[in-house]
Amino acid sequence: MSPRRTTSGGSIDRRRTIRFTFDGEAYTGHAGDTLASALLANGVRLVGRSFKYHRPRGVFSAGIDEPSALVTVLKDGVREPNIPATRIELHDGLRVESQNRFPSLAFDFGAINQLGGRLLGAGFYYKTFMGPVIGPLKGTRFWMFCERFIRRAAGLGRADYAPDPSRYERMNAFCDVLVAGGGVAGLMAAEAAAKAGKRVILAEQEPETGGFAKWSNETIGGKPAAEWAKTASERLAALDNVRLLTRTMVWGYYDGNTLAALERVGDHLARPPKGHARHRHWTIRAGAVVLATGALERPLVFPGNDRPGVMLAGAVRRYAGEYGVLCGDKTVFFANNDSAYQAASTLTKAGGHVAAIVDVRPTISEAATALAAEAGVVPLTGQAVVETKGGKHITGIVVQSFDAATGALSGDARPIECDCLAVSGGWQPVIHLASQAGAKAEWDETLQAFLPPAPNQRWSGAGSFLGQMTTAGALESGRNAGLSASGKKPSRARLPEVEPSPLEIAPAPIFEIKAPISATRGKAFVDLQHDVTADDVRLAHREGFVSVEHLKRYTTLGMATDQGKTSNVPGLAIMAEARGISIPEAGTTRFRPPYSPVAIGALAAERYGNLKPNRLTPMHDWHVEHGARMMEAGLWHRPMIYGAPGETVEQAYIREAAAVRRSVGIVDVSTLGKIAVKGPDAAEFLDRVYTNMFSTLAIGKARYGLMLREDGIAFDDGTTWRLGEDDFLMTTTTANAGPVMQHLEYFLDIVWPDLKVHLTSVTDQWAGAAVAGPEARKVLEKCVIGTAVDNDTLPFMGIVHGRIDGAPVMICRLSFSGELAYEVYSGAGHGLHVWEALMEAGESFGITPYGMEALGTLRIEKGHVTGAEIDGRTTARDLYLDWMLSKKKPFIGSGLMDRPGLIDQNRIRLVGVVSLDGQPLGGGAHIVEQGSLDALGQSIGHITAFCYSPALAKYIGLALVKGGKAQHGRRAFVSDPLRKRFGPVELVSHHFFDPEGRRMHG
Amino acid sequence: MVERATPLGADFRPGSYGDFADGVGVTLSEPSTGTIVEATAWPGHEKALTAALGRGTGLSLALAPGAGAYRDAKAAAFNIGPGRFLVSGKDEGLVDDLARAVSLETGTITDLSHGRTALRIEGMATEWVLAKLFALDFSLDAFPVSAGRATAHHDFFVQIQRTGDHRFDLYVFRSFARAFAMALRHAAQDVGYAIK
Amino acid sequence: MLISCPHCGPRDLAEFSYQGDATRTRPEPASTDTKAWHDYVYTRPNPAGPHHEYWQHAGGCRAHLLIVRDTLSHEIHSVALARSANASGARA
Ligand SMILES: [Zn+2]
Repeated sequence: MSPRRTTSGGSIDRRRTIRFTFDGEAYTGHAGDTLASALLANGVRLVGRSFKYHRPRGVFSAGIDEPSALVTVLKDGVREPNIPATRIELHDGLRVESQNRFPSLAFDFGAINQLGGRLLGAGFYYKTFMGPVIGPLKGTRFWMFCERFIRRAAGLGRADYAPDPSRYERMNAFCDVLVAGGGVAGLMAAEAAAKAGKRVILAEQEPETGGFAKWSNETIGGKPAAEWAKTASERLAALDNVRLLTRTMVWGYYDGNTLAALERVGDHLARPPKGHARHRHWTIRAGAVVLATGALERPLVFPGNDRPGVMLAGAVRRYAGEYGVLCGDKTVFFANNDSAYQAASTLTKAGGHVAAIVDVRPTISEAATALAAEAGVVPLTGQAVVETKGGKHITGIVVQSFDAATGALSGDARPIECDCLAVSGGWQPVIHLASQAGAKAEWDETLQAFLPPAPNQRWSGAGSFLGQMTTAGALESGRNAGLSASGKKPSRARLPEVEPSPLEIAPAPIFEIKAPISATRGKAFVDLQHDVTADDVRLAHREGFVSVEHLKRYTTLGMATDQGKTSNVPGLAIMAEARGISIPEAGTTRFRPPYSPVAIGALAAERYGNLKPNRLTPMHDWHVEHGARMMEAGLWHRPMIYGAPGETVEQAYIREAAAVRRSVGIVDVSTLGKIAVKGPDAAEFLDRVYTNMFSTLAIGKARYGLMLREDGIAFDDGTTWRLGEDDFLMTTTTANAGPVMQHLEYFLDIVWPDLKVHLTSVTDQWAGAAVAGPEARKVLEKCVIGTAVDNDTLPFMGIVHGRIDGAPVMICRLSFSGELAYEVYSGAGHGLHVWEALMEAGESFGITPYGMEALGTLRIEKGHVTGAEIDGRTTARDLYLDWMLSKKKPFIGSGLMDRPGLIDQNRIRLVGVVSLDGQPLGGGAHIVEQGSLDALGQSIGHITAFCYSPALAKYIGLALVKGGKAQHGRRAFVSDPLRKRFGPVELVSHHFFDPEGRRMHG
Repeated sequence: MVERATPLGADFRPGSYGDFADGVGVTLSEPSTGTIVEATAWPGHEKALTAALGRGTGLSLALAPGAGAYRDAKAAAFNIGPGRFLVSGKDEGLVDDLARAVSLETGTITDLSHGRTALRIEGMATEWVLAKLFALDFSLDAFPVSAGRATAHHDFFVQIQRTGDHRFDLYVFRSFARAFAMALRHAAQDVGYAIK
Repeated sequence: MLISCPHCGPRDLAEFSYQGDATRTRPEPASTDTKAWHDYVYTRPNPAGPHHEYWQHAGGCRAHLLIVRDTLSHEIHSVALARSANASGARA
């Protein structure tokens, strides 16, 4: 048995021994322990070093509020830093390291910071490292220089670079009533709502429900409180309409009663089962919410209040009552309220020894005096702790007479020996979720705490969250909250009796003991995790920081991983005092999610790795099998090249493009956006959305169309095919399929609701294969049946229907490459079948599959524009598509396209570029009229696309250059400092190859 | 007739996967849908459209948002938007029957037989698995048998019909089908799943 | 945040895409009044308080909704299908 473990009592399982290591040292604990309780049971008091001063720190609390005992958990080769020891369930194989120490916890170099402690006050970093006004390290540069050294010295645990092998997942849930908090009040609320027939979710952040009942030595309805809670929980778990989530913290309260919760599914297991998540993020949409989130104890601020062994009184009580751990052999309590007396009573009943109770109040209640007597002490009233003794652990305290009205200390300083100091400065309801929900907290004089105000979302409160600090109050308010959330009136039915009768928690308004600072007495800490002292708060005030939000940011008070759960109110009280105003006048900060840290992995959940789903064409597997190197185009995966062994990318696309010009090639164009436009007004609709006319298009013909945005800028282009009188198939660019659909839907729904047109995305319905090259027609002639494909039957922009190897196909004679070319469309499920049939038919012509690089090369040679040129800034005129702007009708964008700024001849406009030094061009490279690699000239435009043109045997590109056509024939330079490229180019027409289009009409 | 290829790929092959030591929680399969169409009524012609769809499929369709009808292994239809329905059937010829049944006066029919892929998920853990992907209330009260919903999981646009107490048919764009099947499989790991 | 689509019921914000100010009026298609077009495309009142705006239920029924949302509190005062709202002249 461990030195500080009681022989009976509590809810741990003493028959089950669990082995774990802390800083490589082996220890044992029991099932039901936390790491903190097991370390305390083993007599380990020093757990970590503090953030700034590297002071020794131990376990301070017993729950989610822990500011000091942060450790790093080592699991599956991953380090997870800054986890409170109070939140780690002990399990076999648990490996934990202390943090922020070098070379070891007991001997820490950084502790030298303590000696210079006076220098490291509030704003120290800002003031010292902002640097000189001039020179190489001026201003923030100096900070950036110093920062990496400071970060090493001051900081929390070290994060890991290794990938996290754990699984995380998200879950959506809906309920009528969500109860946040599974203490007595939460259990009552959940049961009341469940009995009312509501769908209930009860979320409790700890492994077991019960809250305070788990360690109080009360009885409820004649049964030990812990047993009552266990039975209540089992009753709930048996109900079909209740989902009981333990290890689940509700951490965010968002608009529309949407709440976020984190379930720690696997942290308490040595290894989660196959496929199971470590954390599960719950998004809960609740009809109503019951906030039963309890209250957290506040410490008092006094010199040396951070020494290991100084703990919260409620934590000492919990360790004794729930875990059977006595935090000290000689425990002194120090309080401003009666709850410490109940803690002393629980400790005594568990077998602990109370050395003294020091109380700042001049007089105390009879009930408190009686509890003190049970613990065998007479309370030292009207006194305060002014100093703690010891090195890495407390060995004693010094007390002095204290005037609660003035805060003055007087009389002799008397030492008391102890190895644990249990402190209580009152209780603060956990109002975080209510605050996130939009409500502003209200100060309560009696409780000296912020209470939740009237709700402005659909929630009701229960238990100590409401300031009901007794178990009887929790039972009643819990039931009422559950009923109210179910739309029912409060009940008058009898509630179980609670014994013993409770004490009033009405703390004296004392937050700090201001003892004169001396070297021996040491600092008085407000925020233990960020090492912010009471003097830092006062210094901030003297320097003019009066707003609470500024105070927080300047001193970093409450901004550590615990978000100031133990320090916010004391810090505010000290600021209020310094300003000579009341606490509510000083205000409180608005709480924001998360209530307590949430692993990023849990928020990312299933969105890992590639982040986006892959969209695959029907021929995808064929491409991969035939050596295609795939590239991403939005969500789509498309072949970039079909590389032969030993071929470079450039060699491959040159070979592919040359084959198209020489004989025939085939490319997968299934990714083009396709929208079915149907209805009696379809043609009229197209006339309005395209700049050119579509109502005149004959059935069985296709036309190239251009769309503008309302502001007159070019939006998208593509061909649209008229399949019937009221039936069009619109194609869009691959990238714009979604935005074009939304654009069209908007106009139909909002602007022209009278038009009878239906739109359906049919992108995925059709597989498309473009067959291009002088031999393309011969390939089709070999395999297409049911229709002729000769020039009369299938002229340029014509459409025919037929079959290829049994599969129905629709063929349109279109050309993006400038060659004689056909787009062969089939049902997507037949896409591969048709593709293979085309390959077979083309075999004797040397049909060559080509990828995006060759496709790009062929279109650059022809000067066709794509998204690289229709870039959201260019107009139709910039791209020399003026001929498409109909003068016979208005269309989207016609109202603004003629604004002076958009028709200026000197805008950057489309030109062709030829490299004159035989070197490649680069996308995004600037065009300049003069300069050199070192002296960058004034940019007159940029390159949008480039390639090696096999047809011209040159490196060419498309560019947007000031003046456009006026520059044809001019020399300029390509300037690409990023790629260290500078060289001469000639600006030419963008129609590089076959400008008359003889080949595609052939 | 040329057989249609599945977009799901070779990885989607029969077997048990995930944590199935205590049996599988869900079963995934690709139901055979020879026909999938989107049918949309002109405003005011919704009733005529449901009647026409009924003639084509033998289903009786109510007009409420999300309402649907289902005949096991024959035909299914559900509302996916104002005046808009997704109709599917085993038979490839159904698309032509529907095109004949719905006149241009009433509305339009668009063939999506190749463009959408149906994935079926069934089993006791179905609601649990789907709740990981969709912010929808899958309880029977909120989502009754034969009802449908149009929703999204990140980039996946999905139309869902409940075809049994513990069975849903999910319709996705064909090009997304393989990635969506992976997402479903990933979500079903902890309950264990079979592919049928 | 949830938006109650009149067709689909309450759905998560992620299913919707914002489609702009609903108070602007589009000039007649053939209008050459550049100022009117400019106001339609660019000028927004940006009120602090109730705001009429269009949202599309893109990850759902695809319908456009006319939503009155308070820009200070995010509270959604009303949601209607844009088609029916505009047809009945319910727009502000
Ligand atoms: Zn909707």
